[in-house]
Amino acid sequence: MCAVQRTMSYEFDFSFLAERWPDFVAGAWLTVQLTVVSIALGLAVGTVCALLRVYGNRWVKAPVGFYVELIRNTPLLVQIFIVYFGLSSLGLKLSAEVSAVIALVVNMGAYTTEIMRAGIQSIQRTQLEAADCLGLTRLQTIVHVVLLPAMERVYPALSSQFVLLMLASSITSQISAEELTATANLVQSDTYRSFEVYIIVAVVYLALSVLYRFTFWLVGLVLFARKRKLGTAL
Amino acid sequence: MKTVLAGALIALMSLVTVAHADTLDDIKKAGKVRIAIDTAIPPFGMTDDKMQPAGSDIDTARLLAKDLGVQLEIVTTTGPTRIPSLLTNKADLVVSTLSITPDRAKVIDFSIPYADHPSVVGALKGLAISSYADLAGKKVAVVRGTTQDTDLTREAKDAQLVRYEDDATMALAFASGQVDILATARSLLPAISKKNPARTAESRITMQTNYLAVGLRKNEPALKAWVNNWVKTNLQNGKLGAIYKKWHGVDIPVDQLLKIGG
Repeated sequence: MCAVQRTMSYEFDFSFLAERWPDFVAGAWLTVQLTVVSIALGLAVGTVCALLRVYGNRWVKAPVGFYVELIRNTPLLVQIFIVYFGLSSLGLKLSAEVSAVIALVVNMGAYTTEIMRAGIQSIQRTQLEAADCLGLTRLQTIVHVVLLPAMERVYPALSSQFVLLMLASSITSQISAEELTATANLVQSDTYRSFEVYIIVAVVYLALSVLYRFTFWLVGLVLFARKRKLGTAL
Repeated sequence: MKTVLAGALIALMSLVTVAHADTLDDIKKAGKVRIAIDTAIPPFGMTDDKMQPAGSDIDTARLLAKDLGVQLEIVTTTGPTRIPSLLTNKADLVVSTLSITPDRAKVIDFSIPYADHPSVVGALKGLAISSYADLAGKKVAVVRGTTQDTDLTREAKDAQLVRYEDDATMALAFASGQVDILATARSLLPAISKKNPARTAESRITMQTNYLAVGLRKNEPALKAWVNNWVKTNLQNGKLGAIYKKWHGVDIPVDQLLKIGG
């Protein structure tokens, strides 16, 4: 009876925000920095690996396949611990932020490889033959005939993966990267207003997700001319 | 609501007190003493590889029961339920890393202290750290939100605090070489050093020191007198010091403890 009454009459107190909001801004900023770098590098790693996985010989395909399966079948937290604590035990001391980026890039790369592979394999062989007939160089063919249309096809999946990475970056707080979730844990332990703190953090993550999706939509408009001009999907 | 609850609690507590005005007598009659111990905080209280209770608090409780001439019944508790287990008469005594604090002294009585429980800044063997000023610009590991975190934030403003979520992660960060300095309970240093023999943590700066005591219900003059006398005797004859040394690898400051105990 008593417990019920006390739960029902929980009084929200956001007054700590007046003093602590710069902490949240700093945390969110580090989250953005970590994820933007990881997304850019991860996309590059994934694209190269996808090309190798589709067009490479079997000596290349096998290790890429191994990398993709290894990363996609182990938890991100374990990967982060291996980079941060494991490499450090071997004598390579990386800061929490650098370790976080390395682990996120390796993780992002594996997922992007599979997404991009699907896109690349969806390009018809006749397209490649047409590019050959028109006298395009191999690089021109890969960039204009294979990669851009492939990316356009899988762009929704890629965007989702990018947003997922941003949300997953919260676990880098475990290795002392002072990003948004770490900030929340700290403020929460100082003020004991855990309910309020995590509500704030949830709202900030939500806002970041919306911002990221909007940005990807804009980038898509720039990248994919056909879609911009004709408004139709490939 | 609060006043009603408080009133009920006080009434309940006085009932308990009246019903057990002389716990020492009851213990002797029953032939056993019930001691509340948290068995999840090594090396104070834990379960050994044979699934038996072990640790410095366990040994202390065993010694106490032996000297009292009765059987020991260990009442397993957690940190937050140590004091309630006394107040609800589930246990006669608490021997469980119980620090003497003014807040606790309002609800229970403490014996004279039987050990100290300092927080320290530990550093890798060979590192020149002896004061807060030496920490300037250096990475110092703490567990987020602990008293060590709060104290260092205040005392060592120029140190670069690296905050981990729990003791285990912080210990791993030290063992793997991510940090060379850490602030924690001194009792944890041996365990942390054991993780990687090449990286031993040495206590360098003593932060806050709490004192551990046996907890008992209020209004138990006979029991309190007996426990105080027992602590004093066993501090002087070195038995308590030996138990502490066995589990924690360090000596307790006997003279200091006796001075505080009067």
